[in-house]
Amino acid sequence: MTEKDDLTRIIIGCKKGDGKCFSQIVDAYAGRSYGYFYRLTGNTSVSDDLLSELFVKLVEKIGSYRGGSFESWLFRIATNIFHDYLRSKQRRKKLLEAHQKELESELTEPKKSGGEQLDKLQIQLKKMDEDTRELIMLRFYSGLSFKEIASMRSEPIGTTLAKLHRGLKKLREMME
Amino acid sequence: MNGQDEKNLKELFEKFVGSSEAEKAVEDIRKGEQILRENPAPQPSSEVIDEIKYEIAKDLLQKRTGAYGFRKTVYEVAAVAAIVTILTAISIKFFVKSDEPYGPVKTEYASVIPTSFWDSEDAVTDDTDLAILTAKIEQIEGEMLSLQLGRSESNGQTAVTELEMELEEIESDFWKG
Repeated sequence: MTEKDDLTRIIIGCKKGDGKCFSQIVDAYAGRSYGYFYRLTGNTSVSDDLLSELFVKLVEKIGSYRGGSFESWLFRIATNIFHDYLRSKQRRKKLLEAHQKELESELTEPKKSGGEQLDKLQIQLKKMDEDTRELIMLRFYSGLSFKEIASMRSEPIGTTLAKLHRGLKKLREMME
Repeated sequence: MNGQDEKNLKELFEKFVGSSEAEKAVEDIRKGEQILRENPAPQPSSEVIDEIKYEIAKDLLQKRTGAYGFRKTVYEVAAVAAIVTILTAISIKFFVKSDEPYGPVKTEYASVIPTSFWDSEDAVTDDTDLAILTAKIEQIEGEMLSLQLGRSESNGQTAVTELEMELEEIESDFWKG
């Protein structure tokens, strides 16, 4: 039985509400999804929450999965969850700006996040623009093809290729 | 990226740029992704994973319980409906006589007043008859009252007989039209 057959069997089990199959999905995708969230937020606590949300949504939405690339489907949900998080963060920031400038600086501080020491890569990633950072992480953690990523982002494949190339080249320069 | 992936990516780049530039772009991407591999992101803690699995199990149980609750209600309603149907069938079997024809019961109406009375088209004669009848009834009422009060000068028994005869006469005259 191939890996794809295994995944198909697990997904069918999930659709039937089999808890064991959901556990298998969590085991298979939690690491990659967590890495994706962590590299985008730089915060383990937030990543924990986003990861939980991802799997809650997975349970809710598994009935709407109609075949095709499961990774693409899963990371589309992950991307939406991250965007929702960004929006809520923006709202919080605006509230803080209005009431408390000190707290706002804690939220926007790039080198620390909840008292965590960020690794060098995370510090450099924070300096990149949000869209490029998201594209690099989506490609790296989802393992989707450029065609799938371009389709998910609703942009021409040439644009996706060019952005990723520029982003990774810049990241390499920053890391050297 | 494995060798095949790099080859595919180079072909993809070649659709937009020259061969040498495509090769350079693929090299940049490979090195960039190498940096990401060399700096792995932290992994979720086992507590987080366990909690997620617990939440999923709880969620699934709630869904199942919800579905069970709905099914239970449906079964209860179906059971009540079945009981009502059975009781109705039993009632029909025991309380309705089998020799009685089915269908709505017809109500027969009968009038004590002869139809000829209503069929008459001679309103004047009818009015006269009615007036005579009323007068006779009044007269009889008066006589009855006199008898009750003991004011009749005649023999009481004869008076009652006369009264009865008179009533019979009125009845036969009236219904004859």
